[in-house]
Amino acid sequence: MHERSNYCVIEGISKLKKNRIVGYSLLLFFFLILLTGSVSAESKTINTEISASSTSGDGYQINNYVVQITFIRESRAIIDLYELKESGDSIKLDFTTFSDQVATYKVGEGTIVVKEVNTTTSKTLVEIIVTDITVEYQKYIDGGVDRAIYIGEPSLELSKEVDKTSANIGDTIRVTIKAINSGSGTAQRISIDPGFTPGFTFKSTIYSTYPTELPVGTSYTQMYIYEVEAAKGGTFTLSPAIATYSSSVFEDDYTAPSTRPTVTVAEEAIETSNLSFTISQDKTELKRNEKITFTINVENLKDVPASMIKITPIIPNNLTYHSGSEDIDMINEKPIIQKSIFGSRYEGEYKFTFKADKVGANILTVKLTYNNGVEDISQEVTSDMFYVERGKYDFMAEYPIYVYITPVIIIIAIAGWLHWRRSQFRM
Amino acid sequence: MLNVLMVGAGQCGNRILDAVNREAFGGGKFSKYYSRQKFPSRVETIAVNTAINDLKEMHYTKAKDRIHIPNLHGVGANRIVGKQCFIDNKDLIMRNISERGEFDVGFVITSTSGGTGSSFSPLLIKELKGKYDFPIYSVVVLPFREEGTIYLQNSAFCLKEMYDSGADGIILADNQFLKDVGGDIKSAYDGINNMVAERLLFLLEALDSEMMMVTDLGDFQTVMSGGAGFATIGFAKGDGSNTIRSVIHDSLSPSGLLFSSNVFEEGSRAMIIMRGDRKYMSIDDISSEIDKLASHIGHVFKGVIVRNGELPKVLSVLTLESTSELENLYALAVEAIQIEKDKRERMDIRKEADATFSMIEGLEPQY
Repeated sequence: MHERSNYCVIEGISKLKKNRIVGYSLLLFFFLILLTGSVSAESKTINTEISASSTSGDGYQINNYVVQITFIRESRAIIDLYELKESGDSIKLDFTTFSDQVATYKVGEGTIVVKEVNTTTSKTLVEIIVTDITVEYQKYIDGGVDRAIYIGEPSLELSKEVDKTSANIGDTIRVTIKAINSGSGTAQRISIDPGFTPGFTFKSTIYSTYPTELPVGTSYTQMYIYEVEAAKGGTFTLSPAIATYSSSVFEDDYTAPSTRPTVTVAEEAIETSNLSFTISQDKTELKRNEKITFTINVENLKDVPASMIKITPIIPNNLTYHSGSEDIDMINEKPIIQKSIFGSRYEGEYKFTFKADKVGANILTVKLTYNNGVEDISQEVTSDMFYVERGKYDFMAEYPIYVYITPVIIIIAIAGWLHWRRSQFRM
Repeated sequence: MLNVLMVGAGQCGNRILDAVNREAFGGGKFSKYYSRQKFPSRVETIAVNTAINDLKEMHYTKAKDRIHIPNLHGVGANRIVGKQCFIDNKDLIMRNISERGEFDVGFVITSTSGGTGSSFSPLLIKELKGKYDFPIYSVVVLPFREEGTIYLQNSAFCLKEMYDSGADGIILADNQFLKDVGGDIKSAYDGINNMVAERLLFLLEALDSEMMMVTDLGDFQTVMSGGAGFATIGFAKGDGSNTIRSVIHDSLSPSGLLFSSNVFEEGSRAMIIMRGDRKYMSIDDISSEIDKLASHIGHVFKGVIVRNGELPKVLSVLTLESTSELENLYALAVEAIQIEKDKRERMDIRKEADATFSMIEGLEPQY
């Protein structure tokens, strides 16, 4: 029984131990899981072979750090760690500890441990343990640190392009979003918001499987393609597409808006009036003080009436308005024709007669403004060049005033004398 | 320089005065507008008329020199009305004359036949002679004989009154004698007026010029005081081919005189004035012709005015001892007066008839 009991005790004790073991095991398991998870998040081990010679060697870049085999002698490798700078230079880092071919470097918030595992005459197997540094970029560098490239921030340039910039309502417009990484680091985790524009109705997405990562200097011409339908008239500047991405080195997130193409969508066609407007003249050469007549012909070419018609001659400085058609009003001493409406197919003829009062060549410009039913229209016509020459008696004005005053005085004196003399002999 | 008063009375006197003024301007139609009067003396011309239209017809006499006597439109050739009109308005006339200063000689120009001139002139001369002591000569124009009985009787009475007025001489011009001037009646009148005007201007120049051989106002007075108180004027122009002697002769012939007269038979005294270029003034010719005249009439004053380059002109003033033509005029005037008297008597018979007719006034014939 003792035995049994012992057995039982033992069995009980064994059960108790067994339960404790299971509990400790579970606790250890969770601890290990926690510990393992923490290590895997904070540390990364890289084993790689790096070629070298007795005078030089290659390197291995991790983010902006390069493990450089400087040279190999007597089966021993001289290993250094370099930090790449944005300026293109590199700085050789000092290790914090070194023992038994293991060098530990303190870099930023983390550490890099480089262990020479095995070295031959031409290569070295190294183990690189990176702790508290997220390895976003790693690459074997043939030629060593001098050939390594600084890994900077990515910069996406997004362009939004349309297959047509003018369209009518109902037309389909294809929008293509292109991207190029013009930065110095790989853009990662790229996502694109195509940026739909009010006034356009989305029809379909043609292509949307764009890459989520875009290395430095690479472009992608079909990041996103979709089609929209023009829904109303007007000129629209499309909303930009927005790219959201992150760096391979830095922890910041970035956004990049695209270019914004302009699309003009024609309004629905509305029937409007259209006035034809011509000018003719009765002569092109005249003498000063003579008259010249300009004839303005206006015709409404459409069946829609025009309104608020105003015909205004812009009188050149060598003409003075003399007379004209009955429809001409004088406003501020300037001749103007104002009509409230020109009916469909209306034809009108108006004459303006001017007196030439200065010598010179000139043209008459006539301005026509009207409302075609939708908007105010303004147009101008110009006459042929006309030439005003000296008048028949203009030479008289070239003489000094006394040439005229003297005979006038003489005539007045004679007339006065005759009148006075005549009055002496009249009863 | 002489101070000359020249009065033109009535239509005829006005027109001769206007012709004198026009000649003084130079004779052109528009000369009054550009020329000054070239009187050799200070000449005051005054036109007097009762007819305003006659005064308005004057073109070369200043308005201030025209005196209108307000009497409707003339006196109608009635000398009695005319004389009464003068009496009523003589102060106006005399005041106008007195305002013009002192005078050395006066001329009153008129027709003897009309109304205003023939009635005013004798009375005006009488008034002037009574107030002033300068000599006054009348220039009278006798009518065409066929112009009518009233004009003839007016002429007869006018001449008599003129003679009695105290005028220092009466210079005669006879329309009847000068009617051969020619043309229509207006041209004839204008021609006669111009002839008289030309002679008067010549006379004025002769009285107030420095002459080679001098005549002056005193000589003229002496000449005019001779004879029966009547005188006439002769005038002639040479054409350069005839001698001064022939020109003098022409001035004394009927073609040169203003009044019909045989000056060699009827002349009393004379004054001969010659004007022209020195080359025409032959002393021998002048002397022989003037001596010839002097041998008939007695004394002859002569004057010579030298004008270089001018053709010879001769003016002769002659007083008459007798005028047969004037006697003829008076004979006709007597007949005219008798005719007018007969008319008046017939008017008296008519009045008697009117008195007879008046006996049945208010009665009606009974049948």
